[in-house]
Amino acid sequence: MSLLQKFANIGKVIKQNNGIVGTYLKLFRIDAFKWGDLVGEDKYGNKYYQNNYYFYGRNRWVEFPLSVGHDYDASQIPAEWHRWLQYICDEPPSQLPLPKRKWMADHVENLSGTDRCYVPYSTTRPKIEAWVPPKRNS
Amino acid sequence: MLRLWPVRQLSRIQNALGLTQTAFKSSQPAPAPDLVEVFIDDKQVFVEPGTTVLQACATAGVEIPRFCYHDRLSIAGNCRMCLVEVEKSAKPIASCAMPVMKGMKVKTDSPLTRKAREGVMEFLLVNHPLDCPICDQGGECDLQDQSMAFGSDRSRFTDNAFTGKRAVEDKNIGPLIKTIMTRCIHCTRCIRFASEVAGVDDLGTSGRGTEMQVGTYVEKMFKSELSGNVIDLCPVGALTSKPYAFTTRPWETRRIESIDVMDAVGSNIVVSMRTNEVMRILPRLNEDINEEWISDKTRFAYDGLKRQRLTTPFVRNSKGDLIPTDWETAFFDIADRVKNIVPSSIAGIAGCHTDLETLVCLKDMVNRLGSELLCTEESFPMINSGTDFRSNYVMNTTIAGIEESDLVFLVGTNPRLEGSLVNARIRKSWVHNEMCVFALGAPVDLSYDYQYLGDSFSVLKDIADGTHVLAKALAEAEKPMIILGSDALQKSDSNLILDTVRSIAKNAKKASKHPDWKVFNVLHRNASQVGALDMGYQPGVDILKCNKPNLVFLVGADAGKLTEDDILGNSGVIYIGSHGDAGAQMADVVLPGAAYTEKDAMYVNTEGRAQIGRQAVSPPGMARHDWKIIRALSEILGVTLPYDKLSDVRSRLAEISPTFDRPGRAEETGFEDISDNVVIDKMAVKGTEAPVAPVLLKLRDFYMTDPISRASPTMAKCVQAYDESEKNPYSRPEAS
Repeated sequence: MSLLQKFANIGKVIKQNNGIVGTYLKLFRIDAFKWGDLVGEDKYGNKYYQNNYYFYGRNRWVEFPLSVGHDYDASQIPAEWHRWLQYICDEPPSQLPLPKRKWMADHVENLSGTDRCYVPYSTTRPKIEAWVPPKRNS
Repeated sequence: MLRLWPVRQLSRIQNALGLTQTAFKSSQPAPAPDLVEVFIDDKQVFVEPGTTVLQACATAGVEIPRFCYHDRLSIAGNCRMCLVEVEKSAKPIASCAMPVMKGMKVKTDSPLTRKAREGVMEFLLVNHPLDCPICDQGGECDLQDQSMAFGSDRSRFTDNAFTGKRAVEDKNIGPLIKTIMTRCIHCTRCIRFASEVAGVDDLGTSGRGTEMQVGTYVEKMFKSELSGNVIDLCPVGALTSKPYAFTTRPWETRRIESIDVMDAVGSNIVVSMRTNEVMRILPRLNEDINEEWISDKTRFAYDGLKRQRLTTPFVRNSKGDLIPTDWETAFFDIADRVKNIVPSSIAGIAGCHTDLETLVCLKDMVNRLGSELLCTEESFPMINSGTDFRSNYVMNTTIAGIEESDLVFLVGTNPRLEGSLVNARIRKSWVHNEMCVFALGAPVDLSYDYQYLGDSFSVLKDIADGTHVLAKALAEAEKPMIILGSDALQKSDSNLILDTVRSIAKNAKKASKHPDWKVFNVLHRNASQVGALDMGYQPGVDILKCNKPNLVFLVGADAGKLTEDDILGNSGVIYIGSHGDAGAQMADVVLPGAAYTEKDAMYVNTEGRAQIGRQAVSPPGMARHDWKIIRALSEILGVTLPYDKLSDVRSRLAEISPTFDRPGRAEETGFEDISDNVVIDKMAVKGTEAPVAPVLLKLRDFYMTDPISRASPTMAKCVQAYDESEKNPYSRPEAS
């Protein structure tokens, strides 16, 4: 590949990311310096890209919506896009939607560390049974 | 003479015929015996004639294995584990039953002895189930230990197809003792304990040989207040504790030596603790108090420590409901209440389980606030010298002293239920020392025969006047004892009763040949009572009923002696204690304290013996040690007590009375003569119609008497089982 083509690719990246400032911000947020085709978008606002210019394993990627800021992680990707992203299938769900069964639960991201996280509780009886004062007017 | 079953029937007939037992016995000390020389494994020892070979071996420092022999029980000699070889004897002899003879040469480790032990062990194990992994005795089983130490190193047992091991049906003898009778090795310790120490001839054997069974013959409850001790006595896992079943192994628990507070005896106990939970309570040897027994309430009421607990402070809101809150809010609430009232109308009441540290902190705080209204729930008549002298309100002869006495006169007490170990001591003396017992009160079953004098006060008066038969018997007795129950002193006529009993004691003491012997004894019911009186608390809440306090600190006071009508205004009741009971229900502020297993605390028993109980587990939730609560409260109320550490409180206690500084010792009381001569207000010489009767009459009443035992499910089960057993036609009726 010629040096010229490399410069052309940089140009594509900068163009796709709305200029030098936009590219810098994208790099700052997702540590990636890439251009590619938008394959689809899920209902959470995640955008999925593909560019076979990059080698296998790097040619499909996701950009999380700006609304999540830096608090993004892989558990925010729903199962059907996960399937495509991890090369389990060739066609993205935007092209070949998966059958929707009624027993399929909605995708929930990992809530650990948030105030909605799962807290285990004990089901054994307490060792000490505390006194409950009787109500006076009963 | 052992007053066991046939002999007792004889004396019963004598009683029925009106033949009174008179109080005399030969007190000629036996001449000093010549010691007998014996050789234990060629080591020369001198022992008194009449001691057994087993005891002689113990003096020589050789422990003979045994199952049936027990120091405090009669000798049965049926387990044969203690066989030893004696020179010039054709066969090995059972050392527990064989008295020593002059020049006897005992071989405790000879091949013959070892072979005999191995043989006995083999026979025991042939019919003993191999369920050690699921047996509650595992780890503290004599059979396990001794089969390791003295058994054979290999088995000849070939019946691995399980065709014929002995199997025995389990018995149901109540909610406390679990029986797995297949494990029984027929040592008969439980039978001997029941008939000799507990005085309940419920257990026995039936059948013989392989068919022999230990049990009650017909299924019935083993009704005794000391029944739990057979669990400790059983060398195998045949009798185990039902509430403790399958909970812990002995090597998992930590053992903390402590003091019991269920009665005023102050039994020494060991608290077994695991993962901050009291798993069980066992007796601790103390020859002066409980020997090695404890009562069932002491042993089994510990599950009451886990129920009905106060774990957080409460403050009563405007609707009249107690709302859980934090310490700060509760303290400031109290400070507001104290701010608005006259200091001299603040009162403190000590309940039945209050320890010395709490008592002294409460007294110092209330005194510093400017009030003198401090009293105990339990009442005691303040006649003549009142509680100024210790000899007026403690058991002067001490519990061990009962064994020296030859005549006991019980007034208005049922010692079997009020102080079970005191009663066990009286029974021991009655069995072994020909003691005579007279009782005035209720015709209760005391587990020994006594002469019942009715329950009327006039009898007491007759004795005091010297016209009664007992007056003569008391005068003739070598060392008479009068035990006055605190139960009888809770009524309005208690002044008269106490005064009359004091004058009987005075007469008996005058006639006594032993000037040092103290006749007058009080048997208290509450662990805190003697300590509180020592410290200067007023006995009884009568003083509050006259003075109408504004603010009352109830420290574990749950007997409900003080009602809300006795408190002036609505400034409130502050309850400090461990259990939600009567006191907490009437309180406006509840502060959670620690129960007796949860604090390092001192208690004074009915003998006046201060003892230290150790903390086994930590107080639950937000509960704190009672004395620390009062110390913190004093700071909020602006009268900071100068005690920051337990040692500071203890040194303050030592300032108050040197008896508090000598834990474990019963200081001899003095000034009886002075106390006897103090007569401030002469009693009107009139009688009283009310009977002089104790409150606890039947074993049913024994189980639930205080906040802890009332909260205990095991004790509730005991009451239930008692009611059931009343319907059993084969159950032995109580009351003699």
